[in-house]
Amino acid sequence: MLLVARKNLFAERVRLAISVGGVALSVFLIGVLLSLFRGWNQQVGGFVEKTPADLWVASDGTTDFLAASSALPGALGGKLKFVPEVDVVSPLIVRPMELYKSGNDPKDTFDVQFVGFDPVIGLGGPIKVESGKDRPGPGDIIIDKETSRRYHVNIGDRVIKGTKALNVAGIASGGDFVYTQVAFVTLDTAVQFLDLEPVTMRTFYLLTLKNPKDAPLLAHRLEVATPGAKYILPGDFANETRSRILGNILPILIVVLVLAFIVGLSVAGLTIYTATVEKSREYGILKAEGFTNPFLYRVVFEQSLITGSLGFLIGAGLTLLVAPFAQDAVPQFVVFVRWQDILGVAGITLVMALVAAYIPVRRIASIDPVTVFKG
Amino acid sequence: MEHSGEVILDLEGVTKVYGSGEFAVAALKETNFRVTGGEIVAVMGPSGSGKTTLLTIAGALLRPTTGTVAICGTDVTHMNEGNLAAIRRERIGFVYQSFNLLEALTAFENVRIVLQQSRNHTGTPAADRAREILETFGLGHRINSLPKKMSDGEKQRVAIARALAKDPELILADEPTANLDAKRGHEVMELLRQKAMELHKAVVVVSHDNRIREFAHRIVWLEDGRLHDHHPEDHRFV
Repeated sequence: MLLVARKNLFAERVRLAISVGGVALSVFLIGVLLSLFRGWNQQVGGFVEKTPADLWVASDGTTDFLAASSALPGALGGKLKFVPEVDVVSPLIVRPMELYKSGNDPKDTFDVQFVGFDPVIGLGGPIKVESGKDRPGPGDIIIDKETSRRYHVNIGDRVIKGTKALNVAGIASGGDFVYTQVAFVTLDTAVQFLDLEPVTMRTFYLLTLKNPKDAPLLAHRLEVATPGAKYILPGDFANETRSRILGNILPILIVVLVLAFIVGLSVAGLTIYTATVEKSREYGILKAEGFTNPFLYRVVFEQSLITGSLGFLIGAGLTLLVAPFAQDAVPQFVVFVRWQDILGVAGITLVMALVAAYIPVRRIASIDPVTVFKG
Repeated sequence: MEHSGEVILDLEGVTKVYGSGEFAVAALKETNFRVTGGEIVAVMGPSGSGKTTLLTIAGALLRPTTGTVAICGTDVTHMNEGNLAAIRRERIGFVYQSFNLLEALTAFENVRIVLQQSRNHTGTPAADRAREILETFGLGHRINSLPKKMSDGEKQRVAIARALAKDPELILADEPTANLDAKRGHEVMELLRQKAMELHKAVVVVSHDNRIREFAHRIVWLEDGRLHDHHPEDHRFV
């Protein structure tokens, strides 16, 4: 039976190539989109998750790290230090901004998420320093390696905003949010660079606790005790940050995924249906010879499964081959290929193959073997 | 000419009506037809006389409107599709006018696939049996050829090999010489006759080719859905 399916398929190589190509394209698209989603998901929440805080403190109404509209009074930090369960309080000043490299056209700017932190405390600073200083000094900035790679900014360069400049003193990793990257300065540098008024205003406070398990209960207690401030667990804050970016992209991704599925299904379905119609006399012969309908259905399903398997192998192979290099061409194309997703795509391909065989199978059921005696 | 006497195909009072009401057309009328093992019967008649209807009813492909059909003593008249398919698979070999080989399969594969489905075939592996029968039919050199690479005569020989390979009791041939020239037609009919006799098969050949008559033990004439033992207008056929 597999012989009939295989021979029928390979007898028409052009049609097979179109059919397999359609499924492969669909698998490739689905695989790449899923990997892109995973890549962004991992990247966007990464900094918040990797910062070793037990609680993030923000002003009421703040949703995430990137839309950092939070504004907290400096006095709050002082109060929090006296909470018995709190071990360390680290203030952060966070602002999105555009900079340009000294010597470049001032219009040639790039986005950074500017983070002022206390280098003595260290909490809220770079996740991992790749080169240069590990703590910024006055007038220094530590940029992310992705910023360095994309905009060719290196240690020793100066970055400018308006009339103010900062000296690039180090390159760190772990602060890439795909469309922007974190850049670190000291709190004092941040205040001066941003002309912050009042100078004691802070965006976030990071807290570490003596017993991290106290975090949920303490968050609730402190919210009551300090009206206007909200206390968020790092996982929740990372998820909020993710949904800020991915929440808008996800529906588009789903639509494209569905379209990719429909393209694969249509190409495979149409080619298998055409092949079935073309071979309907031969199916009639097999029926006349005593082959049962279930046998013939299996021939079609096998054709569909062979097409699907070949398409999957090519499509998944292309995904694995192309995805790692995609970011070199398009920096925002951050992909993360997981074997679970590849397995999921295999499942989607299987569904595609089974559905594609459905209409041809119905066609076979309607073939009357008596027709083979006519002409 | 020896016949086994065992009735292989038995049609009794078979009528087949297509359509209904004022559009009803009777293709076969009250037909009685019996073929025994080792017997070759030619069913002759003009186009539209009901030959194909007779063949497809005899081949368990079509149910009669009235009457009964028995194959190898089994009444198949009211059998379900699955059982009819089993009867065709085990008991009947078909030879078609246009050969009806599977185009993507080689001669060997065309024979083997039918053998693999048949329960009659036990003992010798299907591949060995397929190779053996093709060699018997002088097609040893064509075993791995696709139908499109073979002549029409060779294709029909493969089709006959396929029909006989599963060792059925009944062979039904529909215009087996229609697409062949005189020489190839003669060769094919001679082969069919010889193998059917050797293997003691009941053979029904439906044709309007007069050359068929010389290979048949018995000739029946079908006209307007009625079967006659002689040509309705020519007593030389008796």
